[in-house]
Amino acid sequence: MFKMNKAAGKKGVKLCAALLTAVIMITGCSSGSGGASDGNWVSIEDRYTVDPEKPAWQLDKKEEVTDLTWYVNADWWNTDFGKDIVTKKIKEDLNINIKFITGDDTKLNTFFAGGDMPDLLTVFDSNSPVVQKAATWAMPLNDLAEKYDPYFNKVAAADTLNWFQLADGKTYGYPNYSNTQADYDSGNIPAKTAFIIRKDVYEALGSPVIGTPEEFENVMKQIKEKFPTLIPFGFNSIGEGTGSLGDTLQDFIGVPLETENGEFYDRNQDEDYLTWLKTLNKVYRDGNISDDSFADDGTAFEEKVKSGKYATMLLDGTPQQGGNLQIYLSANEGKEYVAIDGPQSTKGNAPTLNQSGITGWMINFISKDAKDPAKAMQIFTYLLSEEGQLLMNYGIEGETYKKNADGTVELLPAVKDLQLHNADKFKKEYRMGEFMFFGHDRHKALSADAFPEAIKQMQEWGKGKLKPHFILENISPNQGTPEARALSAINAKWNSTLVSMVRAKDDASFDNALAAYKSFLGENRWDDIVKIRSEKMKQNKEKLGIQ
Amino acid sequence: MNGKVAKEDLDSRIFDTLNIILLVICTVIIVVPLWNVIISSFSSGKALAEGGFIFWSPEFSLENYRAVFNDSSIWQAFFISVSKTTIGVVTHVFFCAMVGYGLSKKYIRGRKLYVAMGVITMFFSGGMIPTYLLIKSLGLLNSFWVYIIPALFSFYDVVILMNFFRNVPDSLEESAKIDGAGDWHIFLKIFIPLSMPAMATIALFNGVGQWNDFMTTKLYITDQSLYPLQMMLYEIIVQSQTQSMQNIGGSAVIETTTKGVQLATIVITTLPIVLIYPVLQRYFISGMMLGAVKE
Repeated sequence: MFKMNKAAGKKGVKLCAALLTAVIMITGCSSGSGGASDGNWVSIEDRYTVDPEKPAWQLDKKEEVTDLTWYVNADWWNTDFGKDIVTKKIKEDLNINIKFITGDDTKLNTFFAGGDMPDLLTVFDSNSPVVQKAATWAMPLNDLAEKYDPYFNKVAAADTLNWFQLADGKTYGYPNYSNTQADYDSGNIPAKTAFIIRKDVYEALGSPVIGTPEEFENVMKQIKEKFPTLIPFGFNSIGEGTGSLGDTLQDFIGVPLETENGEFYDRNQDEDYLTWLKTLNKVYRDGNISDDSFADDGTAFEEKVKSGKYATMLLDGTPQQGGNLQIYLSANEGKEYVAIDGPQSTKGNAPTLNQSGITGWMINFISKDAKDPAKAMQIFTYLLSEEGQLLMNYGIEGETYKKNADGTVELLPAVKDLQLHNADKFKKEYRMGEFMFFGHDRHKALSADAFPEAIKQMQEWGKGKLKPHFILENISPNQGTPEARALSAINAKWNSTLVSMVRAKDDASFDNALAAYKSFLGENRWDDIVKIRSEKMKQNKEKLGIQ
Repeated sequence: MNGKVAKEDLDSRIFDTLNIILLVICTVIIVVPLWNVIISSFSSGKALAEGGFIFWSPEFSLENYRAVFNDSSIWQAFFISVSKTTIGVVTHVFFCAMVGYGLSKKYIRGRKLYVAMGVITMFFSGGMIPTYLLIKSLGLLNSFWVYIIPALFSFYDVVILMNFFRNVPDSLEESAKIDGAGDWHIFLKIFIPLSMPAMATIALFNGVGQWNDFMTTKLYITDQSLYPLQMMLYEIIVQSQTQSMQNIGGSAVIETTTKGVQLATIVITTLPIVLIYPVLQRYFISGMMLGAVKE
């Protein structure tokens, strides 16, 4: 019932309206929402001369501390700066002070409307107009590098820069966790998906193979008999998406990414995949999938992982669940989860597990209103360089980690101990692995400490099963188009359809749910969406140089 | 005759019984989840993870509350919440009462126009972005006063008060005037004391609103030292949803708060307003309808 009344005018109604319009026009236009100017190209003549062989932060002689505001479009971002080992070092090395602002899309809109842009900006959705129209409000990284810090080009991945190029041939944003083909080929990126089973359950059943739908069904029944307190099969929380029963399961059984002639393939209606959904439905009807699994949110799912409630899981995001799996393992030696081959394609396809793609995750920009774009650029270079990456992941050599003779990195015992036993304190004082604006998985491979013990076997299992999904990235219709609206309706429909199918009472209702989804596609511009997607896939292949 | 009375008696008894049953059901539907949140917030993580209890937790622990109160910012947020609510309510009620008092007098010039203007604001607002621009040009971004000034006036509350003041007999005002009282004196010494029920009603409305409001903070405040409790709660709840975010990058791990801490925060943020509510409740019941009917 709390209504904030907006400006109550003091004139007649018409006058009031006219005045309001005028005010909006004046404020809206005079603030020039970052569109009119071409950036704040400060001079660095009296500070330093650029050197392509040396990062600019080492050359910059600017005396006073540079204050920067950095907006992160996520409410969960930890806004502390300079209190922990990692950010303290950044603060000292670059002589900066960062004030973080967090928020969601609403807050982001107010920035653009109010014209008060922060110096740096991080967003998550590469399809959003903010990213697509970055040229209007952000400064091009290519020019920034040339003018202030050419060393940037040494530490940034060329493929990633190309991928983010806009129509004017320039790149404005740079992401973290962007994996190129070379990264996939190097074998340094760990898989993050696995079908896992509790070791005690697995051994009690005599290490069964769970490859075919029939085997899967039977093993679930056996689990129910022998371990009545456990839920035989679990999956990531459904929430807004499809948990791990959508793309993750499709990747797990190796559903093709494209049609034979390189066009968009509707993986949701793949026969192989539907066979497995039917199997899951049978398992559900046997009472071996819990109704709670569909209702649990992320937190509830995590609590179940922590307490080992599920006998088997199709888990996406093993590193994200690493902490919980580790907690469970520490308390239940010998009952830990292990990855096994699990469900296989009924058509003989090999798994094509997905990892973070070339689009990455958080995309970082320097805005045209940046007070000192040279400093901002130095931050990019610093965090992308080997030094910055090591700092972000492992802290400071001698203080928190040591380098071994073979080039690997090891956290010092005291630090490791804190990480395991007092996570809150570790987060406050060390904060390693969290300041991830330019993080990349390749540096995780340097250390045995990068991942908890609990998931190492799962990552080992996933070796050689990854396949880049680059061609499928950013192929949705542009935001604001009727097709984009139709697609979001379709996605929502698919989520509910998937749940209805797995929870169907009998084969007829399973088929009905699927048929309803198919007719929904027909009513919602599906053909147009497929066209757009095929077209965008073609463009992706051109960008990536794939034939 | 007698039979008729008995029949009415029976009818009303059936009606009352049905009413009571219905209300009990409604109450249970509301109370059980609340109770479950409170009990869960006092549970150990292990008990929460295993779940399965509704009314009583198998394992009590104060760990969640310890974790919340250990966070120094919660005290600051509590202070902000309390100050914004008290200052906001007092100023809001006083301001609306002044406007309502003025508009309740038939001899005010342009009264119809003012009322019409007010009514329009009840149905139309500038929208989020224009309001943001207004707040920005008023220099209220990142200022404590953004909680107070924009919330000073609500025409809805003015209407309630206006009707209430109208019900005060004119003769009271006239006799006071004859005794030499000025407008302020009459307003403060006669009308306000007589309208206490209405004031309390509006204070309660507005107080609950102020206490629960986090949108204002979300839009206009970036300085964490100005965060009220609700915003902290909002952030804690949102943190837990990060895991369900799509395409989480590679092996990036975001530590999220546990369910127990979330529940404890919910209890802490909701408790004060729940405690105050019954105190004002009696005014609320009498005041709500008092100004509604014109003589």
